Amino acid sequence: MSRPEIYSPEGLRIDGRRWNEVRHIKCAINTHPASSDGSSIIEQGNTKVMCNVVGPAEPTSSSGGGGAKSNTNSFANENKVTLSVKATVAPFSTIDRRKRSGNDSRIQEMCLTIQHIFEEAVMGHLQPRSQIVISLYILAQDGGMLQACINAASLALIDAGIPMYDYVCACTAGMHDTEVLLDLNRLEENDMPFLTMATLGATRKVSLMQLETRVGVDKLEPMMAAAMSGCHYLRQIMDAQVRKHGKNRLARVGA
Amino acid sequence: MATALKRYFADGSSGATLSVSQKVYVRSRRGKATKIVQEHYLRTDIPCSSQLCPICSLNLPKDSSGAERPPILSREPPTAGSWGPHYLVPDTNVFVKAMDLMEHKSAFYDVIVLQTVLDELRNISLPLYNRLRALSQSQEKRFYVFHNEFRQETFVERQQGESMNDKNDRAIRTACAWYRVHLDETMSKSSEIVPQVLLLSNDNDCLRKARELGVACTNLDDYVRFLPDCDTLLDMIVAEHGGDETHKFAYPEYYSTSRIQGGIQIGNLHQGVLNISQYNYLEGSVTVPSFDRPLLILGRESINRAMHGDVVVVEVLPESEWKTPSTKIVEEDNITKNDNAEDDEEENLLVTEQERRALAEEPATQNSSAEFKVQRTAKVVSVIKRNWRSYVGHIDAASISSDAVATRRQTSVFLIPMNRRIPKIKIRTRRAADLVGKRILAAVDSWDASSRYPQGHFIRALGDIEAKAAETEALLLEYDVQYQPFTQSVLDCLPIEGHDWKVPAETSDPRWTGREDLRDLLVCSIDPPGCQDIDDALHARPLPNGNFEVGVHIADVSHFVKPNTAMDSEASSRGTTVYLVDKRIDMLPVLLGTNLCSLMPYVERFAFSAIWEMTPDAEIVNTRFTKSVIRSKEAFSYEQAQLRIDDKSQTDPLTQGIRDLLRLSKALKAKRMAAGALNLASPEVKVNVESETSDPMDVEVKKSHETNSLVEEFMLLANISVAAKIYEAFPQSAMLRRHGAPPKENFEVLADQLRVCKQLSLNAESSKQLADSLDACKDSNDPYLNTLIRIMATRCMLAAEYFCSGTMAEPEFRHYGLATHIYTHWTSPIRRYADIVAHRQLASAIAYEPLHESLRDKPKLERVCQNINQRHRNAQFAGRASVEYYIGQALKNHELDVEAYVMKVFSNGFVVFVPQFGIEGPIHLRDAKSSFKFDEANYALILNEGTDKEETLQLFRKIIVHVETVVEESTGKRKVAFRSQNPKIE
Repeated sequence: MSRPEIYSPEGLRIDGRRWNEVRHIKCAINTHPASSDGSSIIEQGNTKVMCNVVGPAEPTSSSGGGGAKSNTNSFANENKVTLSVKATVAPFSTIDRRKRSGNDSRIQEMCLTIQHIFEEAVMGHLQPRSQIVISLYILAQDGGMLQACINAASLALIDAGIPMYDYVCACTAGMHDTEVLLDLNRLEENDMPFLTMATLGATRKVSLMQLETRVGVDKLEPMMAAAMSGCHYLRQIMDAQVRKHGKNRLARVGA
Repeated sequence: MATALKRYFADGSSGATLSVSQKVYVRSRRGKATKIVQEHYLRTDIPCSSQLCPICSLNLPKDSSGAERPPILSREPPTAGSWGPHYLVPDTNVFVKAMDLMEHKSAFYDVIVLQTVLDELRNISLPLYNRLRALSQSQEKRFYVFHNEFRQETFVERQQGESMNDKNDRAIRTACAWYRVHLDETMSKSSEIVPQVLLLSNDNDCLRKARELGVACTNLDDYVRFLPDCDTLLDMIVAEHGGDETHKFAYPEYYSTSRIQGGIQIGNLHQGVLNISQYNYLEGSVTVPSFDRPLLILGRESINRAMHGDVVVVEVLPESEWKTPSTKIVEEDNITKNDNAEDDEEENLLVTEQERRALAEEPATQNSSAEFKVQRTAKVVSVIKRNWRSYVGHIDAASISSDAVATRRQTSVFLIPMNRRIPKIKIRTRRAADLVGKRILAAVDSWDASSRYPQGHFIRALGDIEAKAAETEALLLEYDVQYQPFTQSVLDCLPIEGHDWKVPAETSDPRWTGREDLRDLLVCSIDPPGCQDIDDALHARPLPNGNFEVGVHIADVSHFVKPNTAMDSEASSRGTTVYLVDKRIDMLPVLLGTNLCSLMPYVERFAFSAIWEMTPDAEIVNTRFTKSVIRSKEAFSYEQAQLRIDDKSQTDPLTQGIRDLLRLSKALKAKRMAAGALNLASPEVKVNVESETSDPMDVEVKKSHETNSLVEEFMLLANISVAAKIYEAFPQSAMLRRHGAPPKENFEVLADQLRVCKQLSLNAESSKQLADSLDACKDSNDPYLNTLIRIMATRCMLAAEYFCSGTMAEPEFRHYGLATHIYTHWTSPIRRYADIVAHRQLASAIAYEPLHESLRDKPKLERVCQNINQRHRNAQFAGRASVEYYIGQALKNHELDVEAYVMKVFSNGFVVFVPQFGIEGPIHLRDAKSSFKFDEANYALILNEGTDKEETLQLFRKIIVHVETVVEESTGKRKVAFRSQNPKIE
């Protein structure tokens, strides 16, 4: 079978969006109040990620991020909070049902990336000698796994009441020939170079820019501009959701 | 099975209001069920694109650069018959059956192409899809692609138990109904007539349901009948098959896909490209990687409906059926003359008795030399990819039944293609009588197992046979040369100053940035006389240290042709300029080719320069490249330059420069030859045409001067230097040219022929040895023999090709003929697209400008290479065919006797080559009165054996032939015919 048109000359993408439209986003926080301090779930199109945050708490050797650090008490940082990120990819999240081992190097790398992002975004100096564990559950994948994980973690950390400078919002942008496309789905991701960008709130502070494919240097700027506008749009949506949740909560407390 | 989940979401800013997730379960290759979930956004902002609609034309969507697409469908759509002004909505089947009709200039304007239809078409045939896309891209025909599946109102969901086809048909009807309501609504206040929306379909069920919905609809034939010129148009529709008759014969069915996949994997089936012999339409060969020598495919049944150039899968036959290649000339028209186009199914046998006889082989001769000639035979078991295109030919007058002429009833006739390798094509037409004696373009649609010949349809008539315009067009079509004038969008890419464009006078102008001022250098160009597109110019000057500075300056085409413009994509698809005898089909618009880029004398031009420092022995000390501005001092022809060099009284610096160049070029050539470069020959002749009428006057063999080789040497050097530079800068994506070493087997036959007939040896171990042994192949009595052998050796070699450096290992880069490890084309950017690519890459390698993305993209470059390789080959064929046609015309009224060489010997004839005209042709012995005997081991025909008039016609023998031209009955071509005069064959 022939490949479908990724971007038609009429300006429509494979799923009917235009170049600058993000997929439908649905998010919620405090979804698992019993099992965690903060939790969230986010759906970006058909990509679905759940996040639980436990902490800040006293570091334990068992809950460490793995590797050489985990079994010692020196694990506790004197000056700032220690973040550890774990991600689990559900076997049913992709088209082919497939079990992934816990130490898939790509997932490990993604966890590390997320850890670095939030080490900068969280006011870590307020909670020295303590630990925050972020657990991500990837339930469905349709492109933009990293961006969904970052957004989910951001929401869950806010739900847990951990002081942060701002939301960290992430979005992808790709380059199809000369056209920038925002928020790629799986088919688009496989077809073109794309970058994932995360910004600190609606600012121009970039906390992550990841590009794993080759792209001409002149193409980078329009891609970055598009991705940034996507991040800013996401912040609006996430913020609206948090405020809505807060309002409901206050109403309940008041009653 | 599929389910869909709907979700509404309100978002004021964008047009997408609803998303549907489509979940499809598909059985994967390993038999597991897999789930594919795709999102599908429905929107309300997809315009109807009618210029009449006041609402949609206000809310046009913008693309990322902020540009809008204006409405396409016109205010005054065409009318036909009882239908008032209307927009057409054809269904998929209509596009499949009548794409040629859609492209026709006289009808089918304002067409709405539904997304459903486009997607279906894409799954059926990618070429058809591409043609439709091209139609929708060109503004002229006003084809609008309406994405009905993304518009909320026209989206249909597949229902329980509904087949995909039914769903698509329903989607088409829904879209038509929506269009009608939409136009009625939005135009309710307008005074203009609301155009109808007319559904075109050949499916009666679909038409009935459409009528129930109140959608205007009709079937294609009924619609076409109301158009002017309907006879021509009706002929262009692909014929339906009346498949219910029982047939008495049939070709073997093709194997199933799984059997083929399996077979190829285990290795008992092989895949390759079918190549039909030029002399025998019943003999084909397929080269496959598993065997050194090509597999022979003998006979109609084994060829099994495959055509020349198709990618086929073959099965090797048992050893008992292995044969030697046919030693006979077999021409289709002589054997199948009497086939009836109307009812060929009536014959009982697939393979007629004549054909069987034509192929019957004498048992392989039991001598040593025949051993290597027995080849594996095979039969075609499947066609992977058809190489069908449109074919030019003429109607076989004999195939028209007389009553058809009178009644204008639609009848089947045979179209005989100009290309002998293509079988006759059956086409249906009502105008058989009008079409006789015309050049006709037709397409092949199908080839059923039950039909002896392929079924096709008429596209258009080009004009009378032998009329110059028609023959030239036929030739261009046959070799797929794009000869249409450049479109407006291409011409818009030219500099606005037009012919007044000049190199900016101020060196501070931004266009001067990075350019070196070489205007003072004594640069000149040397080209064939009358050359207008001057690509290259040269200079040389002595340096104080005793070395020489040599510069090659090439027209800076890439300054004018920027990547990703309409002009660039046009040049890329044309690939090369095609030179015919009386005509040049340019790759770039004439303003660039012959003026702005052309390095004309006495004017300033932008150039790209390669400058070397060389020792007097032509050792390169230093190489550099730069963009520059030059002013050529003189444009010489080869002959003028030669005269200037030879004229001792001329001692000005320019002449000295040319002399230095000549000396250095000789040193370069000597080095190249020592490295094993081949000196090949091809029969090159020039047809002189009268300038006014372009009637051919006479034919002469091209002369060669020392200056030809001067220019050639420096161009080679420049290309090699550039190739090394761009490969260094872009190891993965450099545009290079290679010439593979030919397998030794290719020379086996020629070596044996030389050994037997001339007691000469040919050693093809390496290019060096080949070059040396070719030099030794001389006959002191016959100086031309060496050239003839070189021509024949050239035919044993592979074709050089463009490739992208990332696709091959470095040792494969070698250019066999030039004996250099790396090569590219850089010196003729006006007439070759590969050179433009090399220019851009070199400009980027010297940090003049950043490299465009597309030149870094390996798959994209590979596609470009594939295309230009094909175009290059076709351009050569077209050029040769043009020469052949003009030679035919030139000899029309002359008959003469000329010297010729025997080039090939068959059991019933031989092929002669005439050096004077550079043409070759067969001489049949079929009608000869003299007795003859074929001596296969000695490559000879023995005439009148045992009598006093005994003559041996051995390969390479020089004979005298009588040349005249005849119009060939079969192909309608005026061809040169030969008759052996000495020895005389009656």
